[in-house]
Amino acid sequence: MDDENILEFKHVTKRFPGVVALNDVSFNIRLGEIHGICGENGAGKSTLVKILSGVYPHGTYEGAVIYGGEELRLGQSSIQEAVKKGIAIVYQELILVPTRTVGENVFLGKEPVEHGVISWNKVYADTQAILTRYKLDVDPRAVVNNLGVGKMQMVEIAKALSENAKILILDEPTSALTKAEVEKLMGILRTLKQHGITCIYISHRLEEFFQITDRVTVMRDGKVITTQPIKDVTQNDLIKYMVGREMKERFPKGNRKPGDVVFEVEGLEAVDPNDPNRKVLDGVSFNVRKGEILGIAGLMGSGRTELVTTLFGEYGKVTKGKIRINEQEIKIRSAHDAISAGLSLVPEDRKKMGLVLIQTILRNISLPNLDQFVKFFSIDANAERQACAQQAKSLTIKAPSLEVLAETLSGGNQQKVVIAKWLLSRPKILIMDDPTRGIDVGAKFEIYKLMNDLAEKGVAIIMISSELEEVIGMSDRIMVMCRGHSTTTLPVAEADKERIMALATGLAFA
Amino acid sequence: MSVSTPTIVQTESLWTRLRKSVRRNIQSYVLLVALAAIWGVFFFLTHGSYLDAQNISNLFRQMTVTALLSIGMVLVIVTGGIDLSVGKLAGFVSVVVAYLQFYVWFKLFPGQVVLPAILSVICGLLVGLLAGVVQGYIIAYLGLPAFIVTLGGMWLFNGLLLLVTQGKTIAANQPVFSDIAQGYLPPIWGWVIFALIVVALIWNVFNSRRNKQKFGFTPRALYLDFLSVGVVLVVILGYVYSVNSYKGIPAPVLLLAVVAIAIAYAANNTRFGRYAYAIGGNREAARLSGINISRLIFMVFVLMGGLCGVSGVVLASYVGYGTIAAGTGYELDAIAACILGGTSPLGGVGTIPGALIGALIIASLTTGLQMLNVQPAWQYVVKAIILIAAVYIDVYFKKHR
Repeated sequence: MDDENILEFKHVTKRFPGVVALNDVSFNIRLGEIHGICGENGAGKSTLVKILSGVYPHGTYEGAVIYGGEELRLGQSSIQEAVKKGIAIVYQELILVPTRTVGENVFLGKEPVEHGVISWNKVYADTQAILTRYKLDVDPRAVVNNLGVGKMQMVEIAKALSENAKILILDEPTSALTKAEVEKLMGILRTLKQHGITCIYISHRLEEFFQITDRVTVMRDGKVITTQPIKDVTQNDLIKYMVGREMKERFPKGNRKPGDVVFEVEGLEAVDPNDPNRKVLDGVSFNVRKGEILGIAGLMGSGRTELVTTLFGEYGKVTKGKIRINEQEIKIRSAHDAISAGLSLVPEDRKKMGLVLIQTILRNISLPNLDQFVKFFSIDANAERQACAQQAKSLTIKAPSLEVLAETLSGGNQQKVVIAKWLLSRPKILIMDDPTRGIDVGAKFEIYKLMNDLAEKGVAIIMISSELEEVIGMSDRIMVMCRGHSTTTLPVAEADKERIMALATGLAFA
Repeated sequence: MSVSTPTIVQTESLWTRLRKSVRRNIQSYVLLVALAAIWGVFFFLTHGSYLDAQNISNLFRQMTVTALLSIGMVLVIVTGGIDLSVGKLAGFVSVVVAYLQFYVWFKLFPGQVVLPAILSVICGLLVGLLAGVVQGYIIAYLGLPAFIVTLGGMWLFNGLLLLVTQGKTIAANQPVFSDIAQGYLPPIWGWVIFALIVVALIWNVFNSRRNKQKFGFTPRALYLDFLSVGVVLVVILGYVYSVNSYKGIPAPVLLLAVVAIAIAYAANNTRFGRYAYAIGGNREAARLSGINISRLIFMVFVLMGGLCGVSGVVLASYVGYGTIAAGTGYELDAIAACILGGTSPLGGVGTIPGALIGALIIASLTTGLQMLNVQPAWQYVVKAIILIAAVYIDVYFKKHR
């Protein structure tokens, strides 16, 4: 084991007005190791990355960062500087130009030039060389748009590595990946390690640390709680360090008493509105009862998201089937129809579909609910503020005021704003599409508790999730989708991971 | 068990509040400083005549035509669109109105003056609204890009304008009609209006405080309310005093103020306004919040058309005739006023008061440069530099706040 440090944080403190994002952070990264960093949202992980990338240049924080034996002094507008020094970062949100090829993306901004023009042959040859070297299985001439998320991630890694990176920082690389893609990524990281590249691995998925990292640092509230060799800790230890208490149960026990069926879908079929020959839903039937949580499981591409967007009148064109609310058949042609019928949707992607990021918390929460506050065509600002403040309080949204822009909030708090906006509309049926994606353990638990509360108050909840444990942990019944149709609905007592996977992959029939 | 406590803080010291308010509204402050600087420079260069009563009166009167257009343009740009047709549409309306005045009404209703003026106003508004309906329908419901549709509109209205005028100038300087943009309120009326504003603002302070208390909010300190009302009143007082020492408040300025207040109120306090900002901020999120996006965008263009109607009527009355060049380039002035006033070209952000200050800056420059007898060529150069510099300063402050 080489004990030389490539990177050392010495008493680093970063302050923002009103918040200390990093509080006296000291720890080190050893040359050649894979070092995991975990912590809840807002623990300071992203701030740490931004100091390394130069978004927060030297001088805007206290303390010192020692990199390769020297203090890292990145100047203003220093992002290129960090890259030149060999610090490569792959961000959580992929930043590729979707309409261009893999090679063009990898060499974007540093194209090899011969006689004043770009040498495309060299671009593709060099890209291929990087890809082969690190066993990345992508075609350099493929257009990025046509690749899956997993492959795009590989392109991001190749792009980061093309600058002779010494240290690679991966910020939540797996949040959008499927299980197989995660496995592949792990393989790539092992290859990189063999090539002597140090890696900082930031993730919410604790099990991944045990597969891949050598040591792990846990952060909480801007402080480093501990740094330990991974073999000395358990998953429960990590959770305990992260949340500062022991998490006895991941899923809170509710006291739900499902009543009558409120929402029923029967033999629903729908086609892609842009391509009427492509069926996106091919026979979906299920029902939800008052005060019940119905889980919908299924692989990516099984039609889960298409189902909810079609139910919301926004995507698929319904060709067959019936939708009933309280035994009344209804037609939903737009989100407006759906909302008036008592449906609400917490969408899959809160940034793209859930929030107006450049607006305040207040305006986001009130947006679909303005009808409640209108008097003589004009909005009663006081009534609006009161109702929104009440929601923000009961969901414990952490923010200095309701006037804060949604874009400045952490993922968990953003999700709470989306939920608050829909709770204010007092839905009968609440559809939640992957409600805990990309948010930390503590915030997840709060959202689960909230779902229980709502169900206890009689709301019927339909929850889609990629995490089988979550589906099993939270649902009363589970509907499994496979290739656009619903296979069966299982009571939770009869469901286990293997059974659901068998149904979802089409290996078993109900 | 809950990890967090609600931390919606309501109490802040006066100083931090003031600082925050300055930071939030830095754009308006920067603009006001720019405006003051421009006035100061021209005041100095013209040896004071730039800020005399007559010139102040003319300055505001001159900006009304493009300011009316910029009010609608704010909402168009906020929803993520653009309207290139507004200049030529206003021009077309102005020649239609001039044509009706000159060739139709006075033949149909000989000896009358009030009725023709009323009919002209109505026709002008209808032409504008109809154009807005057609363009809005094509953009919102047929899904064509606003840029292309309104570029087509600009050509179309230019063509129609030439057809109506047949290349000639049509007089629109009949009594009553010409008062729309050339009339003045007698000074006594100016003071009555000022008194009404004083009463309304003070009533509003107490009314909004009472409403806040009804909902359990603590209103800010009373003197702060009076401070902000006081500042507004001093500005209005200065304006009324100044124009009254010339001929009184110009009628079109009063019209502009009424339209601006009504639409600014709608932008903040009605569903229409809120939805417009939400659509510009994130169309997808707005759609999923149940907003009928097509209908809203349609309405924005109809409103824009209506304002082109108002603007065209004012233009005809102001110039006193309909010409083949009516409205040329006004769309760009209106867009520049919006952008100067802090409207984001990407949508979602922008205010009507900001656009008005933007329009005032442009009008101030034009008037000042004309007074100094600067050649038109150099007027353009100076305006170009100031436009780009102002937007740069704005971008700089946004980055470094």
